[in-house]
Amino acid sequence: MATISIENVRKHYGAVEVIKGVSFEVADGQFAVLVGPSGCGKSTILRMIAGLECVTEGDIKLDGKRINDVSPDQRGIAMVFQSYALYPHMTVADNIGFSLDLKKVPKATIRKEVGQVAELLKLSELLDRRPAALSGGQRQRVAIGRAIIKKPRVILFDEPLSNLDASLRVQMRAELQRLHQELRPTIVYVTHDQVEAMTMADTIVVLNQGNVAQCAPPIELYRRPKSTFVATFIGSPRMNLIKGIISSKELTPSFTAAEGWTVPLAGRDLLATDLQPVWLGIRPEDIRLVDANSAADLCGKIAIVERLGAETYLNVVKGTETLLVRVQGDIALRPGDTVRLALDRAAFHLFDQADRVLPA
Amino acid sequence: MSRPYESRVAWQNRMLLVPALVLLACFILIPAGAAVYISFTNDALTGFAAAHPQFVGLKNYARLFSDDGFWNSLVVTFFFVFGSSIVGQFVLGLASAVALRQPISFRPVFNAAILLPNAVPEVVASFIWISMLAGGKYSTLSRIVGLFGIPSQNWLESVPLLMIIVVNTWRGIAFAMILMTSGLSAVPAEVYEAARMDGATPRQIFWRITLPLLQPTIFLYMLVSTAGTIAIFGLIYTLTRGGPGGATEIIGIYIYNQSFTAYQLGYGSAVAVIMLGVSVALGAIYVRVLKVQV
Amino acid sequence: MIGLHKFTRAQAIAYGFLTVTVVFCLLPFLWVVLASVDPNASLFLSIPKGITADHFIKIFTAQKGARWFLNSLVTVGAATALVVIVGGMGGYALSRTNAWWKRPFLYAIILVRVVPPTALIVPLYKVMLFANGVMGALVRSIVPPDHVRSTMHIFGFVDGYFGLILVLSAMQLPLALWIIKTFFDLTPKEYEEAALMDGANVFQRIHRILVPLALPGLGAAGLLAFIGAWGDFLMPLTFISSPDLQLLPIGLFRAFQRANILDYGYLSALALLYMLPAVVAFGLARRFLVQTFTGGIKG
Repeated sequence: MATISIENVRKHYGAVEVIKGVSFEVADGQFAVLVGPSGCGKSTILRMIAGLECVTEGDIKLDGKRINDVSPDQRGIAMVFQSYALYPHMTVADNIGFSLDLKKVPKATIRKEVGQVAELLKLSELLDRRPAALSGGQRQRVAIGRAIIKKPRVILFDEPLSNLDASLRVQMRAELQRLHQELRPTIVYVTHDQVEAMTMADTIVVLNQGNVAQCAPPIELYRRPKSTFVATFIGSPRMNLIKGIISSKELTPSFTAAEGWTVPLAGRDLLATDLQPVWLGIRPEDIRLVDANSAADLCGKIAIVERLGAETYLNVVKGTETLLVRVQGDIALRPGDTVRLALDRAAFHLFDQADRVLPA
Repeated sequence: MSRPYESRVAWQNRMLLVPALVLLACFILIPAGAAVYISFTNDALTGFAAAHPQFVGLKNYARLFSDDGFWNSLVVTFFFVFGSSIVGQFVLGLASAVALRQPISFRPVFNAAILLPNAVPEVVASFIWISMLAGGKYSTLSRIVGLFGIPSQNWLESVPLLMIIVVNTWRGIAFAMILMTSGLSAVPAEVYEAARMDGATPRQIFWRITLPLLQPTIFLYMLVSTAGTIAIFGLIYTLTRGGPGGATEIIGIYIYNQSFTAYQLGYGSAVAVIMLGVSVALGAIYVRVLKVQV
Repeated sequence: MIGLHKFTRAQAIAYGFLTVTVVFCLLPFLWVVLASVDPNASLFLSIPKGITADHFIKIFTAQKGARWFLNSLVTVGAATALVVIVGGMGGYALSRTNAWWKRPFLYAIILVRVVPPTALIVPLYKVMLFANGVMGALVRSIVPPDHVRSTMHIFGFVDGYFGLILVLSAMQLPLALWIIKTFFDLTPKEYEEAALMDGANVFQRIHRILVPLALPGLGAAGLLAFIGAWGDFLMPLTFISSPDLQLLPIGLFRAFQRANILDYGYLSALALLYMLPAVVAFGLARRFLVQTFTGGIKG
């Protein structure tokens, strides 16, 4: 069992508090991803779990036991560094087997285990090479090999794919998921790329400036973001946010955008927010183009057309607001054309000044 | 582990520095402090004062002011530093650096040859220069200048200060050259190209672009070289012992002679303290103005 | 066409100037090289009428040359080793620490480096005399009387190997600390952290990871320390008086002061021998020279 609990952890660097009371749990065998913009503290938290940074306040627990004061070499945790940190003066085989060699495991055993790990990671041909003679992807796999040979309970990954080119990244994502399914360690993975987070995680911890913004499985983050920060961070391209106010006096409450157009908000209890300024969130894929015969919620003029072949993105301007609209396939529209847009009622997200407003 | 990891690491760092600190403290810092103390005593190596050194206050320093020998050594040191370090080594070193940046062949040979005087130990350097300079009409220098009609002489006796300036210049060209090369390579080539497009002549380029851009390097060189030249001892001591008649008694030799030849430890320390003060001042300028990265 | 002309002119000036400078630099060496193989060597530059290896042979068979060389080798070698070890540890700590004493310590190193040894020599002598007294008392209480003198030759602070090694090391330590610290500054911490995560304790980290990675920096520091200590004249001059313990620079110096027994061929051979390790070390350390001279400004 290897559950990790972060309980109210704070960290100060001198007078500056960089981690401001973070709590979350990672269950045994889960793939947890810490994601957030640069400077949000995700790497710091990872290093605190590893023991490479100390915790100012709060507890880090492994299987219920507090490990704040346990030194890194005693925690039974393995780490894959962003720069891989492969020992440059040792061969691949020695790099992978280093931890076993330190424990004075017999050389024959080491060779066997290194062989197994190398096969798992397709490194068998490279065992005699030095890190300098390897490509980025190969080095990465050696770093992973070095981690998994210890059969650790927990593996930590610090932005492992950020140094790889795009196609290699996609490949490695699949490899990592395969490894996780086969070996089932508890994984804590740090990245700034929300695509990696969404594709690989069992649970995602979204961090913003030292705070947990939301902690949930990927689809829940996508469908039910709890704040504008999470709503705009998750999902690419990002969600549209429109300023407006709610009027809930009528039978059906409605949202009136600052630009004047209105949409009804059925099935929500919104009395408390009557006439409050709110944000309406709607993703580009939830906006449709409609022709003159169907009902439209608003009209706007196209400013920019981005053609990607399989889909097209339109920047539609209405007054001072710009909406990003996704259209399947290609479309014969140009900048300057007027379009009529209909919004999917079921895909509304409402946010008041700071947090989200729930549907009934 | 009982103690938090970070505090253990901090303790380890402190322990790792202890041997270095002990060595530096015992053999440099404490003597430096002691020099200040001794300079206020009449300590000596022999005689009554050796067994019972007494505190004499500023008497040694007062003596310094009226001592011709001290002022003489200051003047000698000044000319020595100015002639060899500020002028000789710098000009020749800069010229060598510029010359070596031209597209010529045999560059490593030239480089190695200019480096050689700096690579050999001081005693060897002075040993070979004795052959150059001593012996009147048989010395190599006499034979060379004889070709130009200059009469041969006992160079170390007729123009001793000039000779030690020449010797130290010979020794230090490499240092200046290396620093200037490093400074020159920091000037981007495009700057020169832009100047050529603007119609500047090579002389104008040198004086109005290269030199100003080299200024920080030059300043750094001057500082480091001055501090180093003031500290010279072996090279000149083995050549002239400070003579004849104190004509080459640079300050390091003056201290040594006063302390170990005249046995006046207290007095020698007073001079040493002044030397320390000047060096520390130079070092402080070095650190402040050049914003050394720590 | 005009461009080509100027091109050549600059080259010509460069060649001319460099040739004159090189002649100036190499000329003094001419004598010592020739004299070392000249059976009738004198102080003055002359073409040898025959070549002989006698002078070099004599160094190792007669007179004191071999003794001086050995003394230098032992003391300077030990001092270099000491500097590399102590400097290695200290430089590492200085690089990795962020404690309050880091800055003051580094400034102190720079200030110490500009202190001329001649200014320190007087109080240093007194310190060493004092330490020597203590050591002498200790030795006399342990060792039988007829062995005291030879033991003090090894362990004494004044006129003893031990003290000289310590002093030579202390003089070379500031530069070594600076070089090694700068070197570790450029070595990422991740290697040590990875070793930590692999379960390495302090000794394993030092032995298996840090030392192999630090070899270039340690090598540079070692070479420069060797060069500095090998050429040191003031320290052996002040602290060694027994002829048996004398180091090469002092031996050479005293030898060519003696007006009567002067064998210039022998002395030249000795000088060349003395010169050789320094030149070799200098050649190996060329890459690190800029660093030394700028005192770490440029990294």
